Amino acid sequence: MGVVTDSTTEFFQELGRRGREALLEKANGSIRFDLADGSRTERWFVTLDRGDVSVSHKNAAADCVVCANRALFDGIVRGEVNGMASLLRGEMTSEGDPAFLVLFQRLLPAPAARGGRTDDVRDQR
Amino acid sequence: MSNDLVTILDGDTFVVSDRRGDIEASLTDPTGLFSSDTRFLSKWVLTMDGQPLNPLSVDDLQYFETRFFLVPGTGTVYVDAKLSVIRRRAVGGGFHEELTILNHDDEPIDLTTRVEAASDFADLFEVKDALEKKGTYSSRVEDGKLLLGYERQTFRRSTVISATAPARIDEQGLTFDVHVEPHGAWTTEIDVSATILPAENVGARPVPAKKRRREHMEENLERWLGDAPRVECDWEPLRVTYRRSLVDLAALRFSPPITAGKSLPAAGLPWFMTMFGRDSILTSLQALPFTPELAATTLRVLGLWQGTRVDDFRDEDPGRILHELRSGEMAAFEERPHSPYYGCADATALYVVLLDEYERWTGDKKLVRELEYEVRAALNWIDEYADLMGNGYVSYQRRNEKTGLENQCWKDSWDSISYRDGRLPGFPRATCELQGYAYDAKVRGARLAREIWNDPAFAEELEKQAASLKRRFNRDFWVEEDEYFALALDADGNQVDALTSNNGHLLWSGIVDKSKAKAVVRHLMGPRLFSGWGVRTLAQGEGRFNPVGYHVGTVWPFDNSFIAWGLRRYGFKQEAAQIAAGILNAAAFFDGRLPEAFGGYEREATKYPVQYPTACSPQAWSTGAPLLLLRAMLGLEPVGDHLVVDPKLPSGIGMLAVLDVPGRWGRVDAFARGTIDFNARSGLHPELGAPEQASARRR
Repeated sequence: MGVVTDSTTEFFQELGRRGREALLEKANGSIRFDLADGSRTERWFVTLDRGDVSVSHKNAAADCVVCANRALFDGIVRGEVNGMASLLRGEMTSEGDPAFLVLFQRLLPAPAARGGRTDDVRDQR
Repeated sequence: MSNDLVTILDGDTFVVSDRRGDIEASLTDPTGLFSSDTRFLSKWVLTMDGQPLNPLSVDDLQYFETRFFLVPGTGTVYVDAKLSVIRRRAVGGGFHEELTILNHDDEPIDLTTRVEAASDFADLFEVKDALEKKGTYSSRVEDGKLLLGYERQTFRRSTVISATAPARIDEQGLTFDVHVEPHGAWTTEIDVSATILPAENVGARPVPAKKRRREHMEENLERWLGDAPRVECDWEPLRVTYRRSLVDLAALRFSPPITAGKSLPAAGLPWFMTMFGRDSILTSLQALPFTPELAATTLRVLGLWQGTRVDDFRDEDPGRILHELRSGEMAAFEERPHSPYYGCADATALYVVLLDEYERWTGDKKLVRELEYEVRAALNWIDEYADLMGNGYVSYQRRNEKTGLENQCWKDSWDSISYRDGRLPGFPRATCELQGYAYDAKVRGARLAREIWNDPAFAEELEKQAASLKRRFNRDFWVEEDEYFALALDADGNQVDALTSNNGHLLWSGIVDKSKAKAVVRHLMGPRLFSGWGVRTLAQGEGRFNPVGYHVGTVWPFDNSFIAWGLRRYGFKQEAAQIAAGILNAAAFFDGRLPEAFGGYEREATKYPVQYPTACSPQAWSTGAPLLLLRAMLGLEPVGDHLVVDPKLPSGIGMLAVLDVPGRWGRVDAFARGTIDFNARSGLHPELGAPEQASARRR
């Protein structure tokens, strides 16, 4: 966790590199993340085409737009903050078709920093 | 729900008031305007010249609309009929109230009419558990509107109240100076809007709860009723019960934002108007022959929310189907794990069962292909995450020990799983019906793999696993001396040996060896389990038996509907008809609306079914029970592209027809003829299921 502020960048870049994601095979559309960082807004535009994923910074209309603070989103992609709970709290908001956000949250990591386990449960019982 | 309360709803927005239309809630009192699991109004009181009104009658127009007829109070038993008041209220995005005052006198009248309004913004969980609030309240008048607010960090909720007639608005309500001419009328419309506000720093717009036009909702209900098959029957109570079930099922439909307007059944009205894995799946199964689209939406939505990671707080695992989703304050601040919560040991296997059954009825292979990933993940969960004891059986033990569920099967109360002597086992617990569901999921998953995904190797593997599970189960769970299946295995692999209704679910799943079925049926229909109305959850004579204990002696209509299906599966038609007769007779006592459960007293002892006091009515799977019983009586079974009808009616029904049953065959009709007892028919409430010898062939 040396470069904490880069968690979001790492997350999206890694997603773009993978190029394909089985968990998103049903989705055909786009989701844009507008992440506020002080006075500037960082944009991540994710295009989903039957499992093919591409990531860019373009500012274009999307099927679903998610707004959050950059710092909060860093916590979400690190597994320190739960994305759905943030949404219910109003810290993160979404406009457009929320199905994309529900699909997208499948990619978020297990709550590693909060006592969760990321490995096979059976081995620890 | 108490008979003195009136409820109207649209999805997860609902209003519970007294018979005057007033709301005066304390923290623990279940009245108010609720939306998204939050109470948006806890006070809504109408007065005239400072006096409350008296109710004359309530006209339940639709499940989403009602009309209250009121007169001013006089303090005596006499009613001053010179004035009457009508409150017509419809729910939708909050609610809309049309308030009309009629002057029946020859003199004009002047009145001060006041509506007091306030909100405690309680979370549904707080209403149930009486917990304190942690945020701050506000109340202000702005642009001719009253704005009630609640704020806890970024969590912001607001109730906006406005009226069409001129009003003096203050922070506690609205006052109207009303003048009504002789034989004239005065009216105003009041709008109450429940609004979710985003945090101030993320730059998004407020989201008002969705509004639906009343006309739209009426059309929608008419279409729903028109699309469903018609039931004709010479036993009138069955027609009434069927109609009641369809209307209640319509009210229980819930459209989460991700379904693009399509609905799935919520669990119960009004407190459980949300997605529950188990309840939504079982209700969809019950309703399959009548409204198959509920199953499709349930499968899609639960698939979207399927677990993908290991999260102890939410008891989430990859592949696991959720238990319950909530959106109130306590879920938002993770004081409750319902965002969503996954602590449920049966929904994942039942998910596979529902998809297979759905395809057998509808032929919708597209959905089976669409959900291949989810079904494979669900089947993987059974083996990889649910076998907590490493003995090849599905078991459960919560990882969230503070707010997670102890019993993750349908009998989820604390004392539901016991040995014959009443002791409670430790954890993990492998209840028997979970093994049945897992077996059924593997068998059905194998069919989907072979016929639709074109993966014969996976199909073969699943069939091998299923056969092995069935062999071991019939050895390990069988209580040899008394010939039934134990309720569970405990952590040491010992039998939790109470005799329960779960044996009926095992028949439904097909995990019971043919050679053992007769003995199982003897128990289900024997005096210890069968009360005359239905099969008790726990047998008389067991340590914890209590005829009014939630899961330890009461009779559950939903439980019995699956038992009847199970009896049919093993060829016990007469017994299935007997269960249908008992439950349908009981339904006739409740005007066709079956309660969640009723007392497990001997039918002979009470003569009427004693309702178990419960907060929710209608309950989805009780509403679905008569539908599944219709299927069981008619012996409806899809075989290839045809619908097979193999009826066995209880005596008392001479004719039963279900017309326009939808499915892969298009629409077909199912007919059955039975026997009626002419003596019994002379009574006002002829009962079904009189002994065969006393009845005569009708034609």
